[in-house]
Amino acid sequence: MKSLSFFFFFIFIISVFPFLCFSFNPESPTDRRVLVLLDDFSLKYSHSIFFNSLKSRCLNLEFKLSDDPSLSLQRYGQYLYDALILFCPSTKKFGGSLDLTAVIDFVDSGHDLILAADSTASDLIKNIATECGVDFDEDSSAMVIDHKSYAISGTEGDHSLIVSDDFIQSGAILGKTKIEAPVLFKGIAHSVNSANSLVLKVLSASPSAYSANPESKLLNPPLLTGSAISLVSVVQARNNARIMIAGSLDLFSNRLLRTAVQKAGSQDKYHKSGNEQFVTEISKWVFHERGHLKAVNLRHLRVGETDEPAMYRIKDDLKFSVEIHEWSGKNWEPYVADDVQVQFYMMSSYVLKTLSTNGKGLYLASFKVPDVYGVFQFKVDYHRLGYTSLSLSKQIPVRPFRHNEYERFITTAFPYYGASFTMMAGFFIFSILFLYNK
Amino acid sequence: MARILARFLVLLLVVSICEAAPLFQPISDSHRSAALELFTLDHGSFKSLEETYEALRTFQILGIEKKPDVTAAACHSISETVGSLSSTPKDLFYALKANSIAECKIHAKASKGIISSLNSAVSGSSSLLDFYYSVGGLVLIKDQSSKDDLQLADAEGVFRSVKAFSQSDGRWRYSSNNLESSAFAAGIALETLAGIVSLASSELDQSLISTLKNDISKLFDSIEKYGDGTLYFDDKLVDGYEYKGPLSATSSVLRGLTAFAAVTTGNIDLPRDKMLGLAKFFLGIGVPDLKFYLACRVSIPLILSLPAAVLSLTKKDSLKVRVATVLGSNAPPLTVKLVGVFSSVSKDASLVESQELKFDQGSGLHILNDLLEIIDVGSYTFVFEVVLQEPDDEKVYVTGSQTKVPIFVTGLVRIENSEIVVLDSDLGSVESQSKLDLTAKNAVSLSANHLQKMRLSFRLTTPRGLAFKPHQAFLKLRHESKVEHIFVVGNSGKHFEIVLNFLGLVEKFFYLSGKYDMEFTVGDSAMENSFLVAIGYIELDLPQAPEKATRPPLQAIDPYTRYGPKAEITHIFRAPEKRPPQELSLAFLGLTILPLLGFFIGLLRLGVNMKNFPSKPVPAAFAFLFHVGIGAVLLLYVFFWLKLDLFQTLKVLGFLVVFLVFIGHRILSHLAAASAKLKSA
Repeated sequence: MKSLSFFFFFIFIISVFPFLCFSFNPESPTDRRVLVLLDDFSLKYSHSIFFNSLKSRCLNLEFKLSDDPSLSLQRYGQYLYDALILFCPSTKKFGGSLDLTAVIDFVDSGHDLILAADSTASDLIKNIATECGVDFDEDSSAMVIDHKSYAISGTEGDHSLIVSDDFIQSGAILGKTKIEAPVLFKGIAHSVNSANSLVLKVLSASPSAYSANPESKLLNPPLLTGSAISLVSVVQARNNARIMIAGSLDLFSNRLLRTAVQKAGSQDKYHKSGNEQFVTEISKWVFHERGHLKAVNLRHLRVGETDEPAMYRIKDDLKFSVEIHEWSGKNWEPYVADDVQVQFYMMSSYVLKTLSTNGKGLYLASFKVPDVYGVFQFKVDYHRLGYTSLSLSKQIPVRPFRHNEYERFITTAFPYYGASFTMMAGFFIFSILFLYNK
Repeated sequence: MARILARFLVLLLVVSICEAAPLFQPISDSHRSAALELFTLDHGSFKSLEETYEALRTFQILGIEKKPDVTAAACHSISETVGSLSSTPKDLFYALKANSIAECKIHAKASKGIISSLNSAVSGSSSLLDFYYSVGGLVLIKDQSSKDDLQLADAEGVFRSVKAFSQSDGRWRYSSNNLESSAFAAGIALETLAGIVSLASSELDQSLISTLKNDISKLFDSIEKYGDGTLYFDDKLVDGYEYKGPLSATSSVLRGLTAFAAVTTGNIDLPRDKMLGLAKFFLGIGVPDLKFYLACRVSIPLILSLPAAVLSLTKKDSLKVRVATVLGSNAPPLTVKLVGVFSSVSKDASLVESQELKFDQGSGLHILNDLLEIIDVGSYTFVFEVVLQEPDDEKVYVTGSQTKVPIFVTGLVRIENSEIVVLDSDLGSVESQSKLDLTAKNAVSLSANHLQKMRLSFRLTTPRGLAFKPHQAFLKLRHESKVEHIFVVGNSGKHFEIVLNFLGLVEKFFYLSGKYDMEFTVGDSAMENSFLVAIGYIELDLPQAPEKATRPPLQAIDPYTRYGPKAEITHIFRAPEKRPPQELSLAFLGLTILPLLGFFIGLLRLGVNMKNFPSKPVPAAFAFLFHVGIGAVLLLYVFFWLKLDLFQTLKVLGFLVVFLVFIGHRILSHLAAASAKLKSA
């Protein structure tokens, strides 16, 4: 009997084990299972440095051809992967149950996506990008050309291998170390939808770039020119799903990762392009190894007390504190910033205060409750470039003074009191004299 | 075996550095560092013997000095495998292969054990891979221990049973119950058969060999082809076995062919163009290891390449061409002819006459110096022809017909007569005119209304004094609200001109008046001085927008401002009511006492007395208590003011009232009776 129960326990542990290892959980937000869709398996080798850097960070990559008939992102309503890499620009139709809506649903449910296109990009790939707020150049023969900031090369003279060092200024997305060498890019241009506030240009083209077919003469002005051209863009959705869209599949290739680079008109030579650092750092961001915040221990206290009150009175002095941690890929580390703000909010914010930090992830502020009563909220809305957004709120009622909490001995009222009490004294004496006078 | 080559080819593919297909570069340090990056020891050893071999072989080919820990780790796992009786033929095979490079010591006793176990494995084999591993293992032992007496007992029988896996189309099957055939398996089979031939004690039946040669030529019939003449082998997706891709399949076939050609006598009859096509396949992905050409005793392709495909007129670059074999070794004496130069614009006529390039012995390059004095900037297609000097060489080398190479010739383009003018629309009279220097930043300030025109004009001439049409000649106008408009500047010959008629453009400009910054870009791949200059600005005065006019498009908001912290908000508390000064209140408090004082004075003046106070003790006590009660009520009011709340006050007041009613009734009725008695008296 005992051995039987042990056996069942063992079976249970065994069956739970995979979930413990691989399932995505909010306590360790890094992606684990990644599906990589390729046009051709040779990409596995020609882009192996990028894939190996992902594997070395404990990501479980599963390579499949994009027209594999067994493709499926979910089974029995559960997603099989945490992230998707689409390195299949020329795919016109996915195999299996995968299609445009399946990819968008995947992202909508909080999963991450890396999409790389090139000059062979199909409508399907362009449509996925459009759904994410990024519009690729409609001209399918166009490439990004830059006659001023191209990479000097003995063999490629059409200036479509361009260099760019116009990075987004964000330590969360591109890491703390500055990318010294410029990034090589050969591919197509896209623009970010200006109505979409979630999409960011990570790598922009130089002002002299334009998107056109290098083979044919230009008769009409190109649709995309100058810094409006985005080479690599990222999206962080409201559910913190992260998307990276690159107009170049070569950007990730071993060839460009290992190429020496010299920008035209510049004397600086780099023995290696900035591509490796760029794609590694940005993939860390996409797979939630960086820039993922969590807030815990939201507390508030009346000054001088130790327990959290259920209600505040107007004009109370209170202390508010919250702890914010950042995921470093392995563990939660204190997040240090000087721009975390708390709002005391009812219909609009009555108080908005920047929290002071102790440098160990604890954020503090103290302020006086406004002299308006009603149901308020403590709100921390933290939206910073590259970080997941924090939206915390905690409801708290605020009441007015009780009748006996008002000021009792107002000097201004003393004449009234004086009048009453002298009146009473007069009445007392009068009542005696009136009764007993003869 | 083929997989190993494939891995190696893949490695080179991995590191093939930014070079176009016609260019060939020898192995460099970047290949080596990439190899070291690819093969790293995991806990002191490689994952498998297969990987051990791949690592050792790669390091050997790339000339990386053997790291002692790698060799030691390899030797450890090799001796472990060889010493164990339970090792599979596959493990033994890879152990022996790795040993051929690592050169570890293997006991004679162990090698005897291996020979017997491999021999029994050969006879017990049922699938192609079994044969491949066991025969391959025996061949390796024979090579390593130089035991000439090592022979396969029934070589011909084994040969026939391997041959049984072949298909009619030249491909092979992995096993007899697997119906799918593949080119990858064909390569493995060829290598196995080559091993059997070398192990055979006596000469095999020549008819077997010739049918095999037949199979090979059939296999080459099924070769696949890219558009540019590149040939390769590929397999369809085969269930049950890993799909390995064209690179593995092609290299497997070539390895098999190499091995087979090495053990047989007589040429294998293969078409020359197919060999060249296969060479192109490997060169296209940057793989120089093609020893099979030598081994097969077929023609060696000569590859023409250019160190630089971008020639600069200002630097006076000369046209250099290198001809080398696919292996990178020097070519035999030959002449390179430039047959024609075709402009990308007009493709029909050659710009230069056919001429020979001079061979420079020192650098091994063929050079043409004065070419760039004839041709102008632009992109061209150069056509070369390679002619061997000695007719005997033609049997050994294959040159291909003509090689077309795209070449860019760059130079400095002169910009002259650039000016910007505002014109009156109807008369064409010049309102204001400014010269521009397009090599530096300009600060022109113009103003115009919608009835006027703006004209920008300049001339471009090439170093040879011809007209030049750049790919990119844009005038960009940017409004203060960041709405941009781009115009392509057209030309007639050398003269470039764009006229902006603002009357026709008001709608395109969204009726936005104000300052427009102007930027001018000229660029071309043949132009060394491509530029982007700010010209200045033009102040436009456009009419008011009608109601139905289209609105300017939304402009993206700068992400840095969007994400910054918000301005702090502090609540402004309601100001407390204004109060009079304390002194004033206290003064009025003093005034409120005055009536009481007046009351006392009045009483004294009236001469009040207490004569009516009851004299009998009981009524006197009631009277006393009655007034004490009234006093208590009044005192209660004082306490109510000082500290009590309403409920406490009312409670006490309730008791006092009952008490007062009772006492009051007694004393008042007593007083009333006393006064009635007095009146009646």
